[in-house]
Amino acid sequence: MKKVININFKGRIIPIEETAFEQLQKYTESLRRYFANEEGRDEIINDIEDRIAELFDEELKKGATCITDASVSNVTASMGSVEDFEQMDNEGATTTNGHSSSSSSSPSASATAEEVRGNLSRNGNDKILGGVCSGLANYLKIDPTIVRILFALITLGGFGAGVLVYIIMWIILPVKDLKTNIRKRLFRNPDDKVIGGVASGIAKYFAIPVWLPRVIFLLPLILGVFSSVFRNMWWGDFDFHPGPLFFTGGFGGTLFLTYIVLWIVLPLASSATDKLQMRGEKIDVNSIKNAVQEELGSTVKERAAQMGEELKEGAQKIGTTISEGAQRVGAEISSKSKAFAVEAGPVAKSAGSGIGNAIGILFKAFFLFIAGIIAFALLMVLFAVTLGGIAVWPLKDFYFEGAVQNFSVWGTLIFFLFVPVVGFFIWTIRRIFNIRSKNSYLGWIFGSLWTIGWVCAIMLVSSIFKNFRSYEEVEQTVPVTQPLSKNILVKVSEPALRYSGHYWWIDNDSDNNGWDINDDTLWISNIKVRVEKSADSSYSVKTIRYSYGQNRKDAETKAGKIKFNSNYKDSVLDLGNGIAIDKESKFRGQKVLVLVSVPVGSKIRFDKSLSNKLYPFNIRINPGHRRYWKDEGDFDFDVDMSFDYDADTDYIMTSDGLQRVDGKYKSKNYNEQDVNEEMKNIQEQKKELERKEQELQQKKNNTDTNRYRYTPASPKAPEKNTKQIVQKLNTGSDSPFIPITVNAL
Amino acid sequence: MNIENTQSQMRKGVLEFCILSVIKRGEVYPSDIIEEMKKANLNILEGTLYPLLTRLKNADFLTYRWIESSSGPPRKYFSLTEKGAAFYKELEQTWNEMASAVQAVTKQNGRSNAVVTGETIKVHPSTENENPL
Repeated sequence: MKKVININFKGRIIPIEETAFEQLQKYTESLRRYFANEEGRDEIINDIEDRIAELFDEELKKGATCITDASVSNVTASMGSVEDFEQMDNEGATTTNGHSSSSSSSPSASATAEEVRGNLSRNGNDKILGGVCSGLANYLKIDPTIVRILFALITLGGFGAGVLVYIIMWIILPVKDLKTNIRKRLFRNPDDKVIGGVASGIAKYFAIPVWLPRVIFLLPLILGVFSSVFRNMWWGDFDFHPGPLFFTGGFGGTLFLTYIVLWIVLPLASSATDKLQMRGEKIDVNSIKNAVQEELGSTVKERAAQMGEELKEGAQKIGTTISEGAQRVGAEISSKSKAFAVEAGPVAKSAGSGIGNAIGILFKAFFLFIAGIIAFALLMVLFAVTLGGIAVWPLKDFYFEGAVQNFSVWGTLIFFLFVPVVGFFIWTIRRIFNIRSKNSYLGWIFGSLWTIGWVCAIMLVSSIFKNFRSYEEVEQTVPVTQPLSKNILVKVSEPALRYSGHYWWIDNDSDNNGWDINDDTLWISNIKVRVEKSADSSYSVKTIRYSYGQNRKDAETKAGKIKFNSNYKDSVLDLGNGIAIDKESKFRGQKVLVLVSVPVGSKIRFDKSLSNKLYPFNIRINPGHRRYWKDEGDFDFDVDMSFDYDADTDYIMTSDGLQRVDGKYKSKNYNEQDVNEEMKNIQEQKKELERKEQELQQKKNNTDTNRYRYTPASPKAPEKNTKQIVQKLNTGSDSPFIPITVNAL
Repeated sequence: MNIENTQSQMRKGVLEFCILSVIKRGEVYPSDIIEEMKKANLNILEGTLYPLLTRLKNADFLTYRWIESSSGPPRKYFSLTEKGAAFYKELEQTWNEMASAVQAVTKQNGRSNAVVTGETIKVHPSTENENPL
């Protein structure tokens, strides 16, 4: 008694026995796998299925009530089984090899020969991430483990270059379900081992004598011994170290690491299947039987028990697969997985399970963990950058000009910075939650957006470079009347430049000193003061304005537009607190150098306001030449912020340069930061004191029993004292020790 | 080196040629090709015919047409393209040359042509029996 089901097979309604249907499915499934790498795979299978359906139809027309197991067997026999095809193909291969000249004229024969290899693609069947390594291994016909290890090493050694390559290949390569064509797999050999069986496994894999890999792994040790011998022999008069040291150091370390990595990564060839794969023998029932018999004969029966256990495991696995399948979709998938398990289970099991797989899962979990952290960190950074970007937003108007540049700024921000971070974040999320889409449209979208970002970034950088191509200076002389005292004072009488709080989102704290901004002007205290020896016997003061620009003229115009106040009156040189840059000329590294020429024998004095009010500020006392600034091209005001002088101290110009009148050296190497910090500390202390004072005041007002009251004129003061005394006495009497000490005394 | 392997290699070499010559006569249905070949004692599996036809079709030697059938859905009928015809001509020439060359060589060994063809015909039933179809 058999159940008969009706199926719609290639446009024909076919009543078929359930078992026959399973058999049919198994057959078409095997065809599908066999033709997996064939170009016209779907077409071929369609044709075959069409024909099968036709044959069934004919049978039914002849009077059969339904398709039975026997009829399916007949049909599949006449179509030919996968084994038959394989036989034919193998013969065909020998034919093409044997008579290459004759077969090359036939395109189909050469096509079959090529299709054995297939195109480079990702492997959908055996993958940890995207199946890139596995696909590559399949293409090169080597063990995926080797490719994976190589990728890991490239990634570790090449600062993540491997990751980039992987991602690119992931995007480029199409995914295919490849059947494994590996004859060999890299294992550790348990039968012939010194430490972990790594060298022995490698020897088996490459079919080389086992001493070769062993010697290679031992090489650093041997060379180490040699080099130490050499070093002792030639100690002192001959330097022979570099070569051997290189080996013992870098190379040896790498080999040692490699051994450890291999030890961890490579699975132990424990089963007979593994051992066959290790040796590269073709796995079928006979060869497994032979290997098992061989082992039984030579070693212990333990292995057989192990093998049995593994088979049992495999069977259980198949069982769970079936039940899972049944639970999920029902009879169809169930029979499919059963068919697959029955066919591929025993052989593919070794490849798909075991230590390698566990390591794969661990690796994947670890990778995702790291990726998640990176993604989160990147998102946070982006968030911070965005906030920071808002803060410096007004500056944008002073940096960029023209629609093109503004556009490329936006493009760079959004496409170059934002898109990859968001993309990476999405990718990680999808990975972690195992969401996969068949088409890679997301990848394409992000890829093309990022390309736009690159274009914008390049445009931006090049246009900025263009804006900073020329560097010019404009000189101006400040009229000076020669002081009778032969001493001038340099000071800044204007209040220090401080952020005025024009934009509410910029935090107006003590750090925002030395610059200010509003809608159309930017002020910075980018002023340097330099003292040099005068050529004649008179003082002279010059201001030199510097600016970058697109060309000489542009730079000159921009330099000329810098507003900087400076005047001299009554032996006092009064400098402005900063330079003003208007919105039109943009910020192009403008700065001002105040050059004071002091005749020999005359004095100069720097007011404290100079150090307090000019922030990115520097004084050079003995410049080699005036153009120092420009020649060095120093666009920095951070590198050299130290004061080279003491404020409120008389300096005198000698023939050797400027010196302190009292002959002392600079007392303390002040640093801008130090000063700032000191100021801050002082301010904080002051605030603290104020706070305490306020507290006290409050307490004083609130209660009269305040113990810390310090106003001595208070009439309640005596009361406080008595209270304290009473308290003291109370605690004294409560303590059990005091009487004892008293007694002892 | 076993005899079956050599025999099947020999058959395989001419298989394509034979199939093309069947198709050359006009539009054919694949199973008709099988029938035709069977009549000539050249057995091939249907399952191997379809991939071969697809490959030839992808190489532009063949083309096909859907033709309505009285019993069920339309069926694929194959025919030779111009390129395929040229290809066939070339194969035919090669075959003729080879056949005469083989004959010439085997004649020198003192064996008559009749015996050779007789042997080849005999060979096929035996391989057929050995094949566990």
